[in-house]
Amino acid sequence: MARGQQRSEAHEDSGRLLIEAAQRDPRRFAELYEQNFDRVYAFIARRVRNREEAEDLTSEVFHQALANLPRFEWRGVPFVAWLYRMAANAIVDRWHTTSKEQVDPRRDAEDKAALAQVEQRASLFQLVESLPPDQRRVIIQRFVDERSIREIATELGRSEGAIKQLQFRAIENLRARLGGAHA
Amino acid sequence: MPKLSLAAQLDQAIQALLTRPDSVPPVESSLAPLVRIAADLRDLPREEFKARLKSELERKASMATPAVTPFREGFHSLTPYLIVEGAAKLIDFLKQAFGAEEKLRVPKPDGSIMHAEVRVGGSVIELADANTQYPPRPTNLHLYVPDADAVYHRAIAAGAISTHEPVDQPYGDREAGIRDPGGNNWYIATHKAAGPAQFIPEGLRAVTIYLHPKGAVQLIDFLKRAFNAEEAARYESPEGAIMHARVRIGDSILEMGEAHGLYQPRPTSIHFYVPDADAAYRQALAAGATSLTEPNDAPYGDRAAAVQDPQGNSWFLATYIKDVPHP
Repeated sequence: MARGQQRSEAHEDSGRLLIEAAQRDPRRFAELYEQNFDRVYAFIARRVRNREEAEDLTSEVFHQALANLPRFEWRGVPFVAWLYRMAANAIVDRWHTTSKEQVDPRRDAEDKAALAQVEQRASLFQLVESLPPDQRRVIIQRFVDERSIREIATELGRSEGAIKQLQFRAIENLRARLGGAHA
Repeated sequence: MPKLSLAAQLDQAIQALLTRPDSVPPVESSLAPLVRIAADLRDLPREEFKARLKSELERKASMATPAVTPFREGFHSLTPYLIVEGAAKLIDFLKQAFGAEEKLRVPKPDGSIMHAEVRVGGSVIELADANTQYPPRPTNLHLYVPDADAVYHRAIAAGAISTHEPVDQPYGDREAGIRDPGGNNWYIATHKAAGPAQFIPEGLRAVTIYLHPKGAVQLIDFLKRAFNAEEAARYESPEGAIMHARVRIGDSILEMGEAHGLYQPRPTSIHFYVPDADAAYRQALAAGATSLTEPNDAPYGDRAAAVQDPQGNSWFLATYIKDVPHP
């Protein structure tokens, strides 16, 4: 337990050092982006209608974060919480066109259960990158490009049954790597 | 109808999720977790988007010139400089009690510490062993932590003396007091008013210097003239004495409360990073400070000077010039 706490303090400290480094030299911002992209995107995607809006808002949040980074002050609130608040405000600004449901996204930014779900999705998105290449390709074509099994089968020169198997194994793999969080 | 394979059943559910999410057919229970993952995968971001946004941000960031700051890395405007008997022992205590991280230790040939730096939370504390030129100067520090009770008990276990047990203060802090082995007083606090995620009040950092001057009003007035300080908060007693005040100097806050009872003045040494040490030195003297050291180039990369304020606090004015490009 004590060791776990030390680890999280060390993690917090390295996060803080990276933020301070990026505050001094904005070129280090890319590292903050890599660490937080999936979370911010997952946070936004839950509350907007389509991919274009999610991308637009994610882009807005990171541009804003880069511009406002010198004003970020460490007060025990993690950097990602600052990004979530920015994301929630950006969603609210487009409220009338983009909301999937009548839930104030600013409440998500404070809600543990909502944030746990966001974290879990962000982990899922990262895990997709670590899948074997053929499984990963099927997942991306199916869910991002929204291609049919037949289209994917034709493109890859395989049977529809084989593509369904790959899809099945990929998702099973993701479930195993998520450690039962979705079970 | 022949029973569909699991892979085919899953695909049926996925097809429905993608095209008519309101009528996803029921699946075998073993498939339910996979369908939930599939539902989340609908929000999977496009890799091209992630890469394009990254290069956009990199382009934008590269156009911004790196800020040349007059502060050394990790430092803010104000840093407490603790001068104690037994600096090594105090460093051990700070590690055990507050999880301090030792960043630098410059020993003298006799083994005593000429200069050391530790980091507590997001704040730097500097310290050195006292000597005849610099006698011990114990001070007061305000420390914000996520759990004041736990840190208080850790501090006692590490050898601190309790000055007060944890109590809920009317201003919304859980707060305890200890005296460390170097004689410094620490107010250990957890800010409760803003919820557990924000245990440090707005505007403060993990460690803040706390002064108990005789004549807080006059000191604030001096700090305004000498260092362009701004008063951020002031709470007065019915008699008009300052019970608690926060003064902003540069990017930092200095706290103070009029001396009373056990809380008497303890002249403190403060390392103060400014954009121009020479100009700050001149301004401080014009405001009534006494010169301790004239501006000079210190070997560790600071342009440095020192003044004493009318209350006896020492201000080590510094501009970090090592990274500053010379025209």
